[in-house]
Amino acid sequence: MREKGEVVLEVRNMCKNFGSTIALNHVDFQIRKGEIRGLIGENGSGKSTVSSIIAGMQPATDGEMFYHGKPWKPKTMLEAAKAGIGMIVQEAGTIDNITVAENIFLGNAADFLKGPFVNRKAMTKAAAKALTDCGIDYINASYPTRLLDMQKRKLVEIAKVMSLNPEILIVDETTTALSQRGRDILYKIMHKLADAGKSVMIISHDMEEMMTHCDVLTILRDGEIIDNLDKQDFEDSKIKKLMVGREIQGNYYRNDNDTWSDEVVLKANYITTLNDLMCFNLELHKGEILGIGGLSDCGMHALGRALYGLDEVIDGEVVLTETNTVVKDSIIAFQHGMGYVSKNRDSESLELMAPVKENIQSTGYWKNIWKKPLIDFKKEKKYVTDQVESLSIKCRDINQPVRFLSGGNKQKVVFGKWIAADSSILILDCPTRGVDVGVKASMYQLMYEMKKQGKAIIMISEELPELIGMSDRLLIMRDGAVSGEFYRKDGLNEHDLINYMI
Amino acid sequence: MKQLTKIKENRYFLEVFPFAILFLLLLVFGLGTGGRFFAKANITGIFNQALITATATIGIAFIYTTGNLDISIGAVIALAATVGGKIYLATENVVIMILVTLLICLALMAWNSTLSVSLHIKTTTAAIVMMQIYKAIQESLVGAVDLAVPFAICSALEKSSFRIITLLMYMVLAIVIYNFTPFGRAIRFIGGNENCATQSGLRKSTYIRLSFLIAGVGVGLSAVYTIIRVGTITTSTAGSMGMDVMLATVLGGMSIFGGDRSKCYAGVLGAITVVVLNKGLLMMGVDNSLVQGIRGILFLLLVYLNSERPDVLPTRKQF
Repeated sequence: MREKGEVVLEVRNMCKNFGSTIALNHVDFQIRKGEIRGLIGENGSGKSTVSSIIAGMQPATDGEMFYHGKPWKPKTMLEAAKAGIGMIVQEAGTIDNITVAENIFLGNAADFLKGPFVNRKAMTKAAAKALTDCGIDYINASYPTRLLDMQKRKLVEIAKVMSLNPEILIVDETTTALSQRGRDILYKIMHKLADAGKSVMIISHDMEEMMTHCDVLTILRDGEIIDNLDKQDFEDSKIKKLMVGREIQGNYYRNDNDTWSDEVVLKANYITTLNDLMCFNLELHKGEILGIGGLSDCGMHALGRALYGLDEVIDGEVVLTETNTVVKDSIIAFQHGMGYVSKNRDSESLELMAPVKENIQSTGYWKNIWKKPLIDFKKEKKYVTDQVESLSIKCRDINQPVRFLSGGNKQKVVFGKWIAADSSILILDCPTRGVDVGVKASMYQLMYEMKKQGKAIIMISEELPELIGMSDRLLIMRDGAVSGEFYRKDGLNEHDLINYMI
Repeated sequence: MKQLTKIKENRYFLEVFPFAILFLLLLVFGLGTGGRFFAKANITGIFNQALITATATIGIAFIYTTGNLDISIGAVIALAATVGGKIYLATENVVIMILVTLLICLALMAWNSTLSVSLHIKTTTAAIVMMQIYKAIQESLVGAVDLAVPFAICSALEKSSFRIITLLMYMVLAIVIYNFTPFGRAIRFIGGNENCATQSGLRKSTYIRLSFLIAGVGVGLSAVYTIIRVGTITTSTAGSMGMDVMLATVLGGMSIFGGDRSKCYAGVLGAITVVVLNKGLLMMGVDNSLVQGIRGILFLLLVYLNSERPDVLPTRKQF
């Protein structure tokens, strides 16, 4: 364990209110040189709020901050980054239609001026160096960023922040967007910084990750700091209890060996897509939770999209066997009782500007009808409130815009859409990405209840523990094909599965 | 700046804002013209012109709501009015003139939507190109001599309740479709996040096409009202209508970026405000070219006030 250095940043009595909602309530803490400090807490506990204030994304309502002993009140993220506080944000932090190099040096293009013009060649070269310095040697700095997948974009953001040589690096729920390879790159950077006497502050819901890599954990609940734990005091159940304020059982996955029906409800017959999949076969049964796992780029996310009709299937077909319907697009999929939860929650699964009610209503436009084509407002309200209540979605009221909700509550809204639609086949792509243990537990419970109701679920995930914990049957993918098939009844072992992934 | 952001994010801001602007303009022009602004003839003029702009704006709100921006409205109205006028001169039948004008607008809007939906050309780009083509056709149809529909016919239609009844019918229908049907809900959702709408099983292409057709009816009525109001169709007929409609939309408190903040009736109040602004500035002796400049600046300011997209949100490809 590293020695604790002097205090580099201090937060005193920080408060942040959003209207009547208190996001931070008199928060005090310090970040020391050479430490990796983890911020941990349930969704909506204030972790992202406090880090975003430190990084200049938004101002505090009240309180003080001191950076290197001097008052610290950054007006913008760029100001903070230039002063040595860099943050990798939770959501997309890159711009689509510019190059990787332009993203890395966004706001600093003046450094590459040659007369009145930007020297793109020099900028691209410097960007390539910034990427290589971070251990990322497989991204072309001259590529348009829109061509990169989400993981690579996150790596570009890491290189962008690191190019400014930060004194404090803030990592806000970034690892969920990264594969193991990407995570390893980030961990290496974090430890390298801490070893060099700099500081890292990381926010994550991955308990194992936090316990492995952090020196200190600051636990937040409802906008208040509950405790600060040093590494020697890290204990899984203790942390969870502090986070949620009650005992959380060590294992929140299902522990049954229930079977499923023989009835096939969805079939992929030798499907080939433009990217990723080649002659792929799959059968999904009624009442089955089928897990799909593998490395991030193994084709499992493309499979989910193809099954729901979002990606074009150029050969073969996806068939709903009960009605012998070929799923050619998402409209057919939706109309035949399918639902899809995207990995990219904010950009694909939600209309962020719209309120909770509009988002949940979106799957029930033609169900909540009074007399065709007029809406039954009572039915529509019930359609929404049923979900808000049963899923315990924390919101001011159903008119609150979704963008103001925490990550976990946003995900609950997405689930609510599909539960309200009574979808019989659900494709869940990374359903617990960026949600806390409490929400995870309720999502798993929900999935199990849906299974018992006879619904069929495909769960695509990059987290092996949840695949092992929840799947009846598990397909491991590699290079767009199934490399291994495993059954719950036979016992699932993480080590065996990894061998089929790589 | 932060104060401004706070004000514009207040949920009641968009409800109060259009009325506040109109009230402010009426006050300024009333005082500035020594009360002449409220003369009966002027108010009638404002009403007649606002009728045309309001009808088109109600219709165009359906397109804006889906996140698309069609600026070819002025050219569509001009072309339809020209064909309508020519048809009247050939047949001397008012009903045929009205029907043909409406059909032309429906056809042109359907074509615009086809370019956008089927050929995947950005709506704004398609509209700019088609605007030039429609305008060129209209100019060649009008020719060297302006097209004049007999005054007696126009005057009779103006004095009858035709315009009020058709506008009210269209407005009520539009409000019902917009607020009380799944279609209205769906287009708002499409305008907010196309990807999410597609994944929620909404027929994006169909809904966008329908939005253009509903707008086509409004634009068609607006073209008919234009014939009735001006009688003489020239190459400059409806020249500023594209801008008027956009300005009326934002003045009515609706976002031209579409999505959840949209409302189709916004255009009625906005249209009155636009006409009040145009007339008021001219009556106060402001030069016409300066009026255009003021309108432009006001438009930009209102678009800013009406937009609340955080930087981190995915931007729609339409713009």
